[in-house]
Parts: sequence; C-alpha cells; structure tokens
Amino acid sequence: MNGLSWKHIALVLGAFAVVVLAIQTTGVAPATAAKSLLEGSMGGPAAWRQTLREMTPLVMAGLAVFIALRAGLFNIGADGQLVMGSITAAVVAQSIPGVGGVILGSLAAMLAGALWAFPAGWIKAYRGGHEVISTIMLNNVAGFLTTWMVAGPLRDVKQQSPTTRLLPPGSSLPNLIDSPPFKVSTALLFGVVGVVCLAFWLKKTVAGYELSATGANPIAAETAGVNVKAVTLKAMMASGALAGLAGAFIVLAFEHRFYANFSSGYGFDALGVALLSGGSPLGLVPAAFLFAVISSGTSALQLTGVPKGLSGILLGILIIVFASIKYRRSKLGDS
Amino acid sequence: MATVEIGLLVASTVTLGAPLILAALGGLTSERAGVMNIALEGTMLASSCTVAIIGLKSQNPWIALSAGIAVSVCLMMLHAVLTQAFSIDQIISGMAINALSIGGTGLLSKALLNDTDLARSPFLSVTLYWWAAVVAVGWLAFYLKRTKGGLHLLAVGNDPDKSRQMGLEPVKVRYLALMATGLLCGVAGALIVSNSGNFSENMTAGRGYIALAALIIGGWRPIPTLVACLVFGLIQASQLHFQGTQLAGANVPPEFWNALPYLVTLIALAGLLGKSRAPAGLGKP
Amino acid sequence: MDVKLAGITQSFGKVRALDSVCFTATSGAIHAIVGENGAGKTTLMRVLYGAQKPESGSIEIAGRVVHFRNSKDAISSGIGMVSQHYSIIPELTCLQNLMLGAEPGWFVNPSVAEKRAFDLAAQMGYAFEWNSLAETLSPAGKQKLEILKLLWREARVMILDEPTAMLSPGDSDALFESLRKLATDGATIIVVTHRLPEVIDHCKTVTVLRGGKSIDSKLVTETDSNQLAELIVGHAVETTSNSKPDIGPVRLQLQSLTVRGYRGDDALDNANLEIHSGEIVGLAGVDGNGQRELFQALVGRTKARKGKILFDGIEWSSLGPRQRIACGLRLIPEDRHAEGVVDDWSLIENAALGLQRLKPFASGSWVNVEARRDAALRIADRFQTKHGGIRHPMRSLSGGNQQRFVVARALDGDPSLILAFQPTRGLDIDGTAQVYAALRAACLKGASAFVVCFDLDELLANCDRVVAISHGKIQSPRPGEERDRQAIGRLMVGAA
Repeated sequence: MNGLSWKHIALVLGAFAVVVLAIQTTGVAPATAAKSLLEGSMGGPAAWRQTLREMTPLVMAGLAVFIALRAGLFNIGADGQLVMGSITAAVVAQSIPGVGGVILGSLAAMLAGALWAFPAGWIKAYRGGHEVISTIMLNNVAGFLTTWMVAGPLRDVKQQSPTTRLLPPGSSLPNLIDSPPFKVSTALLFGVVGVVCLAFWLKKTVAGYELSATGANPIAAETAGVNVKAVTLKAMMASGALAGLAGAFIVLAFEHRFYANFSSGYGFDALGVALLSGGSPLGLVPAAFLFAVISSGTSALQLTGVPKGLSGILLGILIIVFASIKYRRSKLGDS
Repeated sequence: MATVEIGLLVASTVTLGAPLILAALGGLTSERAGVMNIALEGTMLASSCTVAIIGLKSQNPWIALSAGIAVSVCLMMLHAVLTQAFSIDQIISGMAINALSIGGTGLLSKALLNDTDLARSPFLSVTLYWWAAVVAVGWLAFYLKRTKGGLHLLAVGNDPDKSRQMGLEPVKVRYLALMATGLLCGVAGALIVSNSGNFSENMTAGRGYIALAALIIGGWRPIPTLVACLVFGLIQASQLHFQGTQLAGANVPPEFWNALPYLVTLIALAGLLGKSRAPAGLGKP
Repeated sequence: MDVKLAGITQSFGKVRALDSVCFTATSGAIHAIVGENGAGKTTLMRVLYGAQKPESGSIEIAGRVVHFRNSKDAISSGIGMVSQHYSIIPELTCLQNLMLGAEPGWFVNPSVAEKRAFDLAAQMGYAFEWNSLAETLSPAGKQKLEILKLLWREARVMILDEPTAMLSPGDSDALFESLRKLATDGATIIVVTHRLPEVIDHCKTVTVLRGGKSIDSKLVTETDSNQLAELIVGHAVETTSNSKPDIGPVRLQLQSLTVRGYRGDDALDNANLEIHSGEIVGLAGVDGNGQRELFQALVGRTKARKGKILFDGIEWSSLGPRQRIACGLRLIPEDRHAEGVVDDWSLIENAALGLQRLKPFASGSWVNVEARRDAALRIADRFQTKHGGIRHPMRSLSGGNQQRFVVARALDGDPSLILAFQPTRGLDIDGTAQVYAALRAACLKGASAFVVCFDLDELLANCDRVVAISHGKIQSPRPGEERDRQAIGRLMVGAA
C-alpha cells in the first residue's frame, strides 16, 4: 500500500508537464527559467539574503500550522492570526521603546494570535464545526479589521498610504549577520530554535504525546484518558500564538511597521511547509527553505518575463504530489 | 428619488449575488455527494481568466464561455481524481487546487493578457447570467426532489455504505456531481469577468468562500442558499451604496460591510443560528 | 418459489465459514435458521442473496439452478434481504428510502409513487407518513419499511437477518403477524435468528447451524426449545475442572446501571452485577444486546442515564477514563484499530497508550523513554508477539500479533480491573490458553476480570462464572447452574 504505483508516477509526470507548459506560455524556455530561478534565489549573497528573509516567517508560520496538524486540525487561518500578531507587535513596539518593546510586542502578538484562533478552536472542540471554514472566515475578518485600523485609528498621518508609524531603530530584532549585501535576522534563529523545541516537546513530554494521540486517533486517545476536547482547543490556540509570533517577526525584523495588505499569502505557504515537513518538526526547516527558494526565485524570475504566479503553481503541485504519497485518507478498517 | 435608489440597490444585489448563487450551487452539488469542496474560489478564478483570454483570442463570447466551463470542469475532475482515486484528504486537495489556480491565473494573465486589449473583446450580457442563476436554482431544487439522479446524490452524500448496499455507486455519483460543480463555477467565473469587463489578479476576492458560507447557512438546500446569497449580495451592495453615509449615528467603515458575511457565517457555525445540518456522509470514503 | 441450497462451502482464509451446508425452504411458510455467532448463518444468506459467491455448491430457485454474479441478479430473481443493521438512511424521507435503487423511472412522480407505497402498506396493515424523515421511525417502523422495500421490489423470497434484534416483544409479535400474512400470500420467508421462542411460536421449520455445518433440520412441531438449545451449543465439552479460586471481597459493583443507546432507547437496562477480587466473570450473549454500551460505560466514555458504578468503594460514575485507569482499570478493546492503538505508531509508543501519565512511563510531565522501551519489549515477549523490532509501526504486525500485544499491555504491571472484549479474537488455541492463564495470574494477585465473548464454550472453559446479557438485561444463572451450558444458553436466547 505504501509503494509507488503507476498512478503516482503518472501524477508526477503530469505535474512536471503542467509546470513546463505554464512556463512555455510566457515565452521563456523552461531551462532558462529554471536557471534563473536558482540563480535568483541562491546565486550570490544578495539572493541568499532575500531567500533567508522569505524563509524566516515561513519557519514560524509552518511551525504553527504543523502543531495544529499534529492535533488533527487544519489551521488555514495562519494568515489572519499572523496579521493580528503583526499589528499588535507594531502597536506595542511603538508605545514601548527599545528591547522591552520588542519582547512585549512579541508576547502581545502571540496573545493576539491565540485569541484569534480561539473561536475556531472552540467551535471545533465543542460544536464540531469544521475548523477550515471558521479559520478562513476569521482570515477575512482579520484582513478587513486591520485594513480599517491602519487606515483609521492607527494611521501615520504623515504618510501617503495607510501605514503605522515606522518603528525607531532600537525597536527591532537585531540581525544575526549583517555584512551587506548579506543579512540574516535573529528571527530565523528563533524559528529554528522553536522547531527544535517543538520536536523535543512532542517526543519528551506527556502533553506532546497526548496531542499526537489526539490527532492520530481521537477515539483511542479518549479511551486512553486524554481530554480530547481540551487538547483540540489548546492546540488551536497554540497554533494561533505561533502564527502571531511569525507576524511579529515580520514587523520587528523586516518591515518595522504595519501596512494594509500586509500578508502576501504566508498562510497558504505555511500550510505547504507544514505538509511537506513529512511529519517531523525538523522537516519544517528544509521545507521552509524550499518554499523560500521558490518564492524568491520566482520573484527574480519576473525580470525574465515569467510572472510570479509560477510560485503558486509550484506550491500546488508540490502539495498534490507529496500528499498523494503521504497524506492518504486512512480507510476505515485498514489492517 | 427613493424608488430609484431602491431599484439601484436591488440591481446591485442581483448582480453581486448571482455569481455567489452559481458558486454556492456548485458547492452544493459537490458536498451533497459527500465531497468537501473548498476549491470554489480557485475554480471560479480559473474560469474568469480563461474566459478573458479565450474571449480575446477568439473574439467569440460563446467560445470563451465554453472554454471557461471546460477549464472549471477539468479542475473539479482533478479534485475528484485526487480525492477518490488517490485518496488525498479533501481539504488538502481543495487548497492545492486553489493555489494552482491563483498561481496559474496570475501567470497566464500577465503573460497573455493586456488590459487595453481586453476592452476590445466581447462579453455576453450580464442579464444572461442572472437568468442562468435563477434557472440553476430552480433546476437543482427540482432535481433533488423529483429525479432518480437527485435521490441517488442525496443518498450517497448521506451514507455511502448504505447506498452501496442498495446498489448505488458512490464514486460514479461523485464524479458526475463534481462535473456539475465545474459547470456552475465556470458560469460563475464567466459572470464575474463579464460584469467587470476585464480580468485582474485574484478578482474573485474571496467570493468562493462566501459562497461556501452561504451554503452552510442555507443548510445545503437550494432555496435557502439562494436567500443567503441574496442577503450577502445585499450586504455587498449596501457597502457600495451607503459608503460614507451614517448608520445609527456612526461612521461605518466599508470594511465592516465587507467583514459582515464572514462574521455571520462564524456565528452560524457556532450554532447560534440554529443547528447546521451538513450532509451526514461529508468526507466519508 | 421454493429455495434449495445444496453443498454450499465457503472459506475465508483458513476459516471454514460454511462446510457443505444444505438448506431447503418451501413457499408459503416461515423457515428459521438458528445458530450462535460465527456459526455461518449470515454467510449462508449472503450466498443466497448473491453477495457472496460460494466455492462450491448449488442454488436452486423454483426448481431451476441459478448462478448469481451479484446482488442485482438475486434481486431480479425475486430474492430480497433485510439485513440486521437496516439500510435505512435517516436523513431521507420514508418514501425516498422505499424507492432508493428501484425508482420507477428517471422522473419521480411523487403522487404516483406515494399511491403505490400507500397500497403496499395497506396490504400489510401499515401506515406511514411518507414525506417525513426516516429518522423519526422507531426500530419497528424501520423494520416495516424494510419489508415494504422488499414488496416494492416484488421479492418472492424474503430473507430477514435477526429481524427482532432491535424490537420489543410486542413489536416482534407484530412482525411475525406480517410475515405470516406474506407467507399465506405465497412468499418464501427465511428468518435467521437466535431467539428460540420466536422459532417455536411462529416458524414452520428450523435448521441448526454450528461451526459452519448444518447440524439438523426439523419441523418445529417435532422439537422444543431445550432440544434446539442443545443442538445449537453442542454437547458439553470435557472441561478441566478448575479448582475454585479464593475469591475476595467485592471490587466492582454495577447498580441499576442504565445506558441510553444511540437509538434513544435503553441499550443497557437496570444492570446489576458484582465482581469479586480474584474472580473472572464472563458475559455471554449474542452480539447487539448491550455489551458495547456496558463496556463504554465501564470505560468512562459514556455517562449512564441511571445507576452507579462502584469500584473498591469509589463511585466511578463521575470519573473519566483517565481517573479510572489511574485506579487500575485496564482495557482490551473490541476493535483495537479504533479504540486501542495508533496503527502508525511504533510498538514503543503504543506500549504507553492509556498509561502515559502513570509511573514509570512518565515522571511528572516528562516521558520516560527507557521505561517505554522496556515495557514494549516486555509486552511483546509475554505472548511471543512476532514483530520486526519495537521501533516498527503497529501496522507491520499481523492481526493476531497485534492482539497479543494489546492483551499483554493490559495485563502488564498490576491491573486491578481488567475489562476484555473478545480478547482472543484472531488467536489460536495456544494463544487463547496463554491469555486466560495470564488473566488467572493477574486475578490470583487480587484483580478482577470481566470478559465479554461471543463464544460460550470459551467462557465456560475459562471463567469462574458466566452471566448472560439479553436485551440489555444481565441475567445470572440459578445457583448450581453457573457453568451449566444449557442453562446459560437458554438465558442468552431468552428461552429460560
């Protein structure tokens, strides 16, 4: 059952064909496109800087979706939770200067993310309402809410477009390495540390064990004494908190302010990262790297005439191929 | 004066509601057969893009519409194959299709469409689509109540195992149902692009999810879903018409109106709007 | 339409489900097929219904030999079956359920369909609200609808598998009234049942199956309950006399325990039971009489509607599974895939499932991996579970070995109360003997064990005493008859 059959091979070939065709419609030769993508993402310090910058929030956001997935939940709402975290971090760091602001901003962002995930978690645990729909709804509400806030109450009136005030230099996450044109933020380090911590937590704590049980077989978990409802709710909130933290990182490390239409679909990518991690938290790092390469590579590719949409195509195809091998719906009564 | 305003409001409601209706009915066919479908958004978008591109190239609106429908049906068949033949989780499949579509339409529209060119291509009159929406509702309501195919659809979506015992073939029914979803979403996408006259990236703007929301609130039945779509359409129309005016003495930001359909759905899911009755076999193999 | 099955043989893997079975049913009468769980009754009927192609044997309908490729063939030959678990879809209306799969045409004319439904129902003396949802029907109502489904499809041979399993005595009588009427109209009725009173009261002939063989076929007028019960369970097998162990004080008490079933009625009805320290008590009964509900209530996943559960004097009624496990409850579940293990997890991880919070598997919030590994090895060794390494997933073990592991896990350490549901499922004679020996060892240390099993012989050979469950009520045999096969058999089938 786990072996690759002809239909998987057909799927992979089909996927490959789609990508090649898509590139060809733009008039660029696929081989050239591949080369440009690799060069644009890894071909020099500036490229690496961009790739690592893309990777940083993806690690944390991927972690967020991963922990929900472990508990059996599809957190499509990482976008909304991330955005709520971002705006909270921006506001808090504005009011409290220096390192204190950074730390408090991050914590506040986690709280905001957790609160934003709470309704979806509660509805799933206690009402049985599917979390996919509720998290998507919350995404949209978060988008509108933050758009309004940044155009209204939180707006920096000195700027043309709606944005909060720029954070002072002392209120940001420092860079790990800063030798232009290459830069990498400490946020990336925090992300990797987070991944390692989660891996440790899942393997070594009873709570981690019970969370994994809840996602793997809720009935067996309940029979084994796990409080499945409570675990579901807590997992969702933890997921939201981590997504919120990812949002805080974007503000504190890179953007230094919050503006409308902030999140360029990190939530989607985070889902892909979590799915491609292959079931172990440590896989999140290479998966985030892969998606970052695609993201920065396709950005660079735009210059040669291939629009950014290619990244979406690659994302979708990667998920499909990977899922067909790994995430098959378990049939009832499999032995 | 007031009657003109109301007339405008009604017209806007119908215009904004029609694509929702078609997409929601597409979701209904799929989910009533037991297949969760969160790819309505991507499917509509793909159709919009195809209609725009083919319309430009062929200068024939009917060919464009057919192409849009064909593309939508293909995407829904992909969903069917992935979920039935490859047993991929239905949510994952849906999200992947959305990603494919957003990426694909972004790529193709930038490569093959030029804004000024589009002004030259013909689109079918929007009224045609309104009628399509109305007919679709009527037909689906009739189909579910009065035909053998409709009964099989309901049975398979409620209990695929018992349906097999009674001699039905759930997998076949699901493939057919998803074809219908493709058709309906194809028309919805065509309407969206015909209404606006040009294609912009991500122009469906979340309407696929609102359609899903309407479907949930409408209890997966055609007529209540129609009502929910019209209500959502009214909300969107109100945002356009009442922008800037006062409501209960306060300045209501446009974002509030935008967010309203989503908030309402959230409340419905929490069970506060009465029990939400999904087809019992949703998601079952 | 007469039905004749001859020489039907069917195996599933190594198990001979049917061994050269012969069966005849004439039109105009009700014929009963009786036997315990696993005797082959359902398999035989599936053969007749076309759902199972037999390895050998023949089917004759109205004198002609037929070959069924699938159920559709059987249905067009005029055979209809009502399965034990009705195939009524609650979210559809009664009329929709009636028609499903046998619609008159592409377009359904509701008034025409309703008229035909009404006429068929009137023929049988039934009345239905055709447009109301089927979920409003009582079990008896669903049963009636299933019969009408057969009439709608013009069945002449009607098979009913355990038709009264979910019916009250009054409804059962009414059902047989209907069946008698159908028989008088010329249909061939075959009833698969384990309830002897029904057979005696209503049927013309009875065929007894045991272990896949047809033991005997008689006219009901020429036999009685006792003789039938004896044929069903077979003659007493030589049991090694177990010296009566020392039983200690009462540990588990069920007092008037009542649990609601999913159908809304009481699946467990005022159950009373006491199990002592050192005792292995067996629960005999045919599947579907409340065993599962009893189990779930004992595990703590469902709350009782009425009554109490006490263990070592502590009232368990408000405690959840976790606390009960902490008190020493260990479970061997009926369906290990659904309730007992995580298929994708390794043996190490599965070893701790249920005990993850207790020492030595955890110290505080930290997992003790060493302890888990030791436990996994110990558990795997106990019954010689064959495995490829304790890091391998549970999935990689064969069914029998998975069962060995699950049983060993429950008996590891010092359990106080062992609940076992079909613990020897998939095990051979040796494995079975080992399991019961281990249960006995645990009980000698003072534990109590409660075993649910569908094999009466196994219970009688291994338990200190056996009680029976029927229709949700626990019946204890009279003093002196605690291990009397006949007596318990009668309690199981409601014949006492």
